Amino acid sequence: MTTEKIHNRQLVFMLFMIRSTVTIATLPVLTTGTAEQDAWLSAIVSLAATLLMILLIGGLAVKFPEETVFEYSRKLLGKTGGTIICFFFLWIFLNTAATEVRIYAELLKIGFLPHTPLIFLISSMVLLAAVAVGLGVEVIARTADALFFSYIFFIAASLLGALKGFDFINLQPVLSRGFGPVFSSALTPAALGNQNLVLGVLVPTLTTPRKAIPSAALAALLSGIVLILSTITVVGVLGPKIGSSSLFPFFLMTKAIEISRFVERIEALVVIAWGLGIFINFAVFLYCGARGVSQLAKIRDYRPLIGPMAVLWVILSVHTYDDFLDLVKFFQPRVFFPHSMITTVLPYLLLWAAYLIRHAGRGGKKYIRKRRIKPE
Amino acid sequence: MKWLNALLGKRTRTAKDRAAKKELEEDGENFTDHRLDISEREAVAKSLSLTKSLRENLKMIREITGAPGDLTIREFKSGRGQVETVLLHLEGFVDNKLVENILRMLGLGSFQAPVGRGAGPNLLQEFRRRLLQSAETKEVATVDDLWNALTNGYSVILCHGSATGLACDTWGFKYRNIEEPSTESTIRGPRDGFIESFYTNVALLRKRIKTPNLWLEEFTLGSLSRTKVGILYIKGLASEELVQEVRQRVSRIKTAAILESGYIEDFIEDNPFSIFPLLFQTERPDRVTGCLLEGRVAVITDNTPFVLVAPMDFPMLLQAPDDYYEKIFIGSFLRLLRYFAFGISVFLPGIYVAVIIFHNELLQAQLLLRIAAAKEGVPFPVVAEVFLMEILFELLREAGIRLPRAIGPAISIVGALVLGDAAIRAGLVSPPVVIIVSLTAIASFTVPTFSFGIAARLLRFIFIFLGGAFGLFGIQFGGLLVLIYMSSVRSFGYPYLAPVAPRILQSFKDLAFRAWWWRMNTRPLLLGAREPVRQPRGQQPRPDIEEEEKEKTGKGRKNDH
Repeated sequence: MTTEKIHNRQLVFMLFMIRSTVTIATLPVLTTGTAEQDAWLSAIVSLAATLLMILLIGGLAVKFPEETVFEYSRKLLGKTGGTIICFFFLWIFLNTAATEVRIYAELLKIGFLPHTPLIFLISSMVLLAAVAVGLGVEVIARTADALFFSYIFFIAASLLGALKGFDFINLQPVLSRGFGPVFSSALTPAALGNQNLVLGVLVPTLTTPRKAIPSAALAALLSGIVLILSTITVVGVLGPKIGSSSLFPFFLMTKAIEISRFVERIEALVVIAWGLGIFINFAVFLYCGARGVSQLAKIRDYRPLIGPMAVLWVILSVHTYDDFLDLVKFFQPRVFFPHSMITTVLPYLLLWAAYLIRHAGRGGKKYIRKRRIKPE
Repeated sequence: MKWLNALLGKRTRTAKDRAAKKELEEDGENFTDHRLDISEREAVAKSLSLTKSLRENLKMIREITGAPGDLTIREFKSGRGQVETVLLHLEGFVDNKLVENILRMLGLGSFQAPVGRGAGPNLLQEFRRRLLQSAETKEVATVDDLWNALTNGYSVILCHGSATGLACDTWGFKYRNIEEPSTESTIRGPRDGFIESFYTNVALLRKRIKTPNLWLEEFTLGSLSRTKVGILYIKGLASEELVQEVRQRVSRIKTAAILESGYIEDFIEDNPFSIFPLLFQTERPDRVTGCLLEGRVAVITDNTPFVLVAPMDFPMLLQAPDDYYEKIFIGSFLRLLRYFAFGISVFLPGIYVAVIIFHNELLQAQLLLRIAAAKEGVPFPVVAEVFLMEILFELLREAGIRLPRAIGPAISIVGALVLGDAAIRAGLVSPPVVIIVSLTAIASFTVPTFSFGIAARLLRFIFIFLGGAFGLFGIQFGGLLVLIYMSSVRSFGYPYLAPVAPRILQSFKDLAFRAWWWRMNTRPLLLGAREPVRQPRGQQPRPDIEEEEKEKTGKGRKNDH
């Protein structure tokens, strides 16, 4: 029933914004580990892990170019098993969206709207996303098209603007404590690769689903580069100690921007610029969630579900976390990594296993390529 | 009287009605009476065929039209048989010289020429073939036809014994001259603009596109106004689906009157709730020509100089015709400036309010102190201040349009000096606000399309409130909402924000920057557009190769030519 199509380029833009906004906004996830001045190495490691995650998720999605993950998981694992897995995915969509909107709202509140109730900030962002989702995925994609370059411009400007305070001493010594801390710091951002779950829903709407993996990989690469650069800049400007102890290191860094005496303290503009990207993030997650629920419940149109889901989303994001420290705790590697493993990687390993058992026995890859899997 | 009974059949008959009808019948044949409503009268006019009796025909016409003073009826005898003939025309619609010419030919000429042996229809046919060869003629058979011909500037000849009339084109309506449109003036470029005449407007376009493939389809819309509306496109370049869609939407209109192209716009646009114009409107033939050459469709309406173009996209609104005529650097710079100005005209007051209330740290300390000092003693909150000044400006602008020309300077003095200056002196408004508002006003005038400027003005007020209530976050909220909305809107199926969203890279050559004309090898990618290639590649100007060789060999110098 989906006649809406999005271009692969738009998928790249969307995935890029999804990935880069949240990693920038929640840069502490990198520094919650112990890598300190080697955080940029962790960023590289997490890029590799994200690419693996894309292969895992996108690889299966490409095998079913006309169905969403909610449809083929039930085909592969049977009705019960499939539905359980679908609930896992739905939980991810909702939880990630709720967490991210909470982060953004906290940032706004701490940054410049200290007297505004949190729920107001959250609901206005959710409202925006709901409006966009109601207008369809094509509209989200087109908005991403329109926002992409201004978003890049803002990020580049804030990184370049901060270079004045950059100090290489902050990045030394390299690898003084070996690779251990590097990997431990990379756990959370790598686990955040579960954002790529949206591929499972978006691939069927693509104009060329075959090329989904290269597109997603390109997006991961671009956002990985942004992440590496921003990590280097943040640590270089703020130093490893402050960089790892502050709540919003990137935000703190932009406070240090002083291009001239007339252009300084532009952090408000930077946060607004993130808002552009983060809005895409919310809209895509809400879209995926709503599509998922509608397909599980066998409702033809997902639009009536947007309202209830948005309300649920607001409630979740307000009540899941008591305060911002709670949020940071959630992103601790020992909490977030297993969470992501269980809800994303494990189900996908199961799906892959089922897929291989079902199709590899009957002539392997060639067979699959020749005859697309028919609906049962 | 059958037709009258049929028409009146639906009405409830009362004794009074019956008595009135009897009276009518006794009075001889009456065709209408004052009890008929307008649609019934229209139907009567359509059903009344001309008869062979001239007297009856004239009676019918007088009764249907109420024998107005501008309907001139000239009676004379023509032909050898001295047949009773009349010539009808409407004052003001015809060229009197042409009419006199016809009269002379029919009156005098028909005695001298060997015509007029027959009577009635034959006579008319002879007139047509022998005397009026030069004029465009057509036959009219009903009163309705006859009247349509008259209102299109024809003179109608009726003669006794013929059940049809002969209409000769004597069009001579006086229009204003072709002038430069006052709302869209340019420094460089043609100075002609559309006027209120349909065919003059078509001619202005055809003068620029002389291919026979510039097709015009005509419609008559409005049961009472009977306005001529035309669809103009280049056959083979505009997509057939687009033309079909426009044709279908235009022909679907059922209304009493079309006074301006705005009526048509309302009827055929994609989304009635859009505050942005979804059809491009302009008074300039060169802009319409440019659009036609890109494969778009123009809708021309009689009696208005505004021509609609579909589909429209957002960047068109900020493109001025000079961009294409000036050198590219100037054109691109001006265009960028306009984008910037549009941003200012929408966002600046809102951002000012937001920064003053919520984000003081964005301002440099000295600037902030200045503003704070200026605001000292102003009794209103900054939102109210900006809002008041904006409203004041809108009032001045509206008054400026409505005012009689002579009073204009007086009002500008009142507005600028009395209100602006005195408001500051009295401490009601702070000077920075006046600066912001006037900057916004100037910026809003750079938008080349007037209807779009209006949309920007409406948005500005919303952003003032959003900025005042929620700071930059509110501005961002509103901006995203507008962006989402604009990316969802389509104009005749064509995405409104194209080529930005969806991104069409090859159309970027004509977006914020303009490429050289020899670089614009492809047309903008419209939906279903045909023949994307505009011109062959590699037409970059460069020194002539022959001459180059000559220079190398030293046989001739370039300046010799």
